[in-house]
Amino acid sequence: MKKLIISTLIITALISLQSCGKDDPTSSSEGNFNIQTNFVFGATAAPFALNQKLVQPVTGDTLTFSEFSFYLSNIRLQKEDGSWWSETESYHLLSAKSADDAKINLQNVPAGKYKAMEYTLGVDSLRNVSGAQTGDLAASKGMFWDWNSGYIMLKAEGMSPQSSSGSFAFHLGGFAGANNIVTKKTTDFGGAILDINTSNEPTVVLLANPARLWHSSPSVATRNTIHMPGPNAVTMANTFYGNFSFKEIK
Amino acid sequence: MNRIKKILKALRASISIFVLSVIFTSCSPDEKIETGNSLTQLIRPKHFPAAHYTHSTNPYSRDGFELGKRLFFDPILSRDSTISCASCHHQSHAFADKNLALSVGIKGGVSSRNSPPIFNMAWSKSFMWDGGINHIEIMPFAPIINPKEMDDDLNNIIRKLNQHQNYPQLFQIAFRKPKIDDQQLFWALAQYMSNLVSANSRYDKFIVGKENFTTSETKGLKLFRQHCESCHKEPLMTDYGFHNNGLDEQFKDQGRYLISQNEIDLGRFKTPSLRNIALTEPYMHDGRISSLTGVIEHYSSKIKSSPTLSSPLAEHAGGFQFSDEEKKALVDFLHTLTDEEFVKNRALVYP
Repeated sequence: MKKLIISTLIITALISLQSCGKDDPTSSSEGNFNIQTNFVFGATAAPFALNQKLVQPVTGDTLTFSEFSFYLSNIRLQKEDGSWWSETESYHLLSAKSADDAKINLQNVPAGKYKAMEYTLGVDSLRNVSGAQTGDLAASKGMFWDWNSGYIMLKAEGMSPQSSSGSFAFHLGGFAGANNIVTKKTTDFGGAILDINTSNEPTVVLLANPARLWHSSPSVATRNTIHMPGPNAVTMANTFYGNFSFKEIK
Repeated sequence: MNRIKKILKALRASISIFVLSVIFTSCSPDEKIETGNSLTQLIRPKHFPAAHYTHSTNPYSRDGFELGKRLFFDPILSRDSTISCASCHHQSHAFADKNLALSVGIKGGVSSRNSPPIFNMAWSKSFMWDGGINHIEIMPFAPIINPKEMDDDLNNIIRKLNQHQNYPQLFQIAFRKPKIDDQQLFWALAQYMSNLVSANSRYDKFIVGKENFTTSETKGLKLFRQHCESCHKEPLMTDYGFHNNGLDEQFKDQGRYLISQNEIDLGRFKTPSLRNIALTEPYMHDGRISSLTGVIEHYSSKIKSSPTLSSPLAEHAGGFQFSDEEKKALVDFLHTLTDEEFVKNRALVYP
């Protein structure tokens, strides 16, 4: 019996040694970095905040946002030598509620000089069809349609005197065919280098302009809700996502 | 030398144990899978195609099934703890409601469509009459938050479960995570629903050569294969597709169109399985037809024409014009789809 226990231990050790060998990172050091989304409103880049009256310059609507949330996912960084690092389980729900709610802290990134970043606005189609998720993708986050499966990839809600109901609610999503709004973005940091090392935790600042939602969409007097994927959601998402951009490395 | 021999011998022994354990974990399909009042493994009948839901991220376990079963029967999933899943899905009716056209939820709220039965869900790619839900795991999300059904919210349920006397331990045993979250809630319910398998009706026994049909049932099967099977595909008795079966010319409920926004889907609804159909009256998405005879009458002479009418029905304008004998044969055949073992299996209900 003793022999059996010993031999079982040996086998277990062998198996675990083998799997250790596979996963052992060869990189010498790691560091952290942040992605911070800053919000502005309109062409003059006026400050954006929730619970504050803002005038949309194209439609003239007065909008008071109570919520502005969106998914940023699948973050990848490219080193100067062209190789890529990808964050695993890279799904982040960001909100304009506070600076912290709009910030992603990425840890244990291989140290190095990075020349570009790739990310996705929205949630890839696979996760829209893969059942119960956890973390920022959990249904309890309030960003998943119960009756028509799929993520609400962007949620903009609030009050407006121009709306017939007094309020507006735009829930944008769609991951298939012509209704797909999932948008991949890349930035070369405007030629700058993202230098990640043990003593430096840089921040990539991105810029979001919620006013852009209405650049090709009508006043909330005409349409005050979107609650499912479709052409209206595509138009709204495209103008906002298209304008979403890199600002600086801090 | 002696030591090397010893090590070799020990290695041999451990390898054989390793091999044996591998053999034991990949259980043979004929192994008895019911132990007491539970199901130790997934039921996947040999005469069925491969299931769509594979449990790839949610491995099946008896503990998971038992937890899902308990949750299914627990009103803790509704805001005021009055409604459980089982309130509208009764085993005696193949987990459909008790002969109600529309179901009654929290504070007397009335559902907008007929409660479907629950069985063989692991073979389905979409859920609800309009197929709006794309995965078995997130199917319960809709009734849980529907204001007319259970009217709760997930964060409230997770809080209640984490504070419960028993659930934290039961979830811990099933999923080995520090805290209950909604993913585990959905996983447990999926393990239970995925193993509600109905495959032991007289029809099933006839298919595998263990039972004979009467003359009328045989005739009914023949008529069924001739006129019904284009949508109600054997052996699951549904193609899991969406069809307009000629109930209306104008659609009060637009069905699949509400999901797809595509005009070809106006008035289309998901094909229900005909298994256990004799137990799930009334019929259709709104429960408008109260008996099986009424359903046969519909297909015989009451089909209404519209641009999206299912083409096999459109080819028989007005209906199939069944004779009285044919109608009786079809109803007799449909009764062979009742699975008495399924609706009486105590392992499927709590406690």
